[in-house]
Amino acid sequence: MYEAVHARPDGASTVARQALSAAEYGFDGIVVRNHSDERATYDRDAIAAEYDVDVVSGVEVRAEDPSRASGLVGNARSSETLVAVHGGDVRMNRFAVEQPTVDVLAHPMRGDGDFNHVLAAAAAENGVRVEFSLARVLRAEGGSRVRAIQDLRKLRELVADADAPYVVSADPFTHLQLRAPRELVAVGETVGFEAEAVRAGLAEWGRLAERNRDRQSESFVEPGVRLENDDE
Amino acid sequence: MKHLPKHLRPRWRYLAVAIESWPDASFDRRALQRDLWYAAQNLLGDTGSAEVDLTVVSFDRTDGEATAIVRTRRGHTDEARAALACLDSVGDDPVGLRVRGISGTVRACEEKYIRGPPEAPAKRQVVFENQDRRAVERGERIDVRTDDAFAGTTALDFR
Repeated sequence: MYEAVHARPDGASTVARQALSAAEYGFDGIVVRNHSDERATYDRDAIAAEYDVDVVSGVEVRAEDPSRASGLVGNARSSETLVAVHGGDVRMNRFAVEQPTVDVLAHPMRGDGDFNHVLAAAAAENGVRVEFSLARVLRAEGGSRVRAIQDLRKLRELVADADAPYVVSADPFTHLQLRAPRELVAVGETVGFEAEAVRAGLAEWGRLAERNRDRQSESFVEPGVRLENDDE
Repeated sequence: MKHLPKHLRPRWRYLAVAIESWPDASFDRRALQRDLWYAAQNLLGDTGSAEVDLTVVSFDRTDGEATAIVRTRRGHTDEARAALACLDSVGDDPVGLRVRGISGTVRACEEKYIRGPPEAPAKRQVVFENQDRRAVERGERIDVRTDDAFAGTTALDFR
């Protein structure tokens, strides 16, 4: 199972510290999803080797409008393994689910963001993973947490109806905000998720990373077509 | 009051909880207990909170690292886990925590999941983001004091 984290300067902890905590918490890997205007510099291989945990380079594209986001997604696609879009705005949500080059639509219900059956169908068609962010369930209080749980329920029903792909994350900004997979499953069950769905959502980050790495490898031509070595 | 007969006594489960915080954390057992009750009540409601009946049995902290044993009723460990996961801070101190394991007795819990007191932290000076900073080191983990907060780093960041 994987967790998608924000590292310094986007959060308070470095990629190495997030990786160390994630390894201890029982994750197989982390996706570094710093916002596009707060990128981190780190040595992926050294961290992965030192803490025995996979480190996936990624980005969460944050832009004011879809046209700017479009350019950022295009740039990030070639350099990063995983490309997410910072959701939470109706136009950005729509932009993200209509782009097959986007891997993940992050926290679509954040702020005054909203989701509907049309977006869910588009996400399913384009293979854009919709993120169930447990951030506000874990870290907000009172009314805003109640709304977060309501939003998650709405999103869950839409995603299930359209059979759209999804990921689950606690969206941690420091190593202190990380929670172990079993804890996330327990919290998910309390707010109405199936335990299996939370596990699948956490594992989906890893599957995405594997798929994208395969696509970025040199032998890949297009889905189903790859170059074979003919040394024999 | 007279002791209950054995088959009527509640059955407990003990959760070994590892708690991490920034080095300036100052909370004690009472603060943890209070915030844990609030966390359970906020997540599970009054009835759910009464069902899980969370009690901090033991607590041991050295600066940024603490361990606690939390008691819950048998059959409610998943809810207890969820309530613990939603504990975002104790008092004003942000905390990270995870359940190391669950046992049927305090003793088994201590022996299996809590090994001795937390590692003693060491103070040191580091150069972080091109500035001289004070830092607290616990094994591989290094918490660097920045202007207004802390930054979480590891030894790998200073190689």
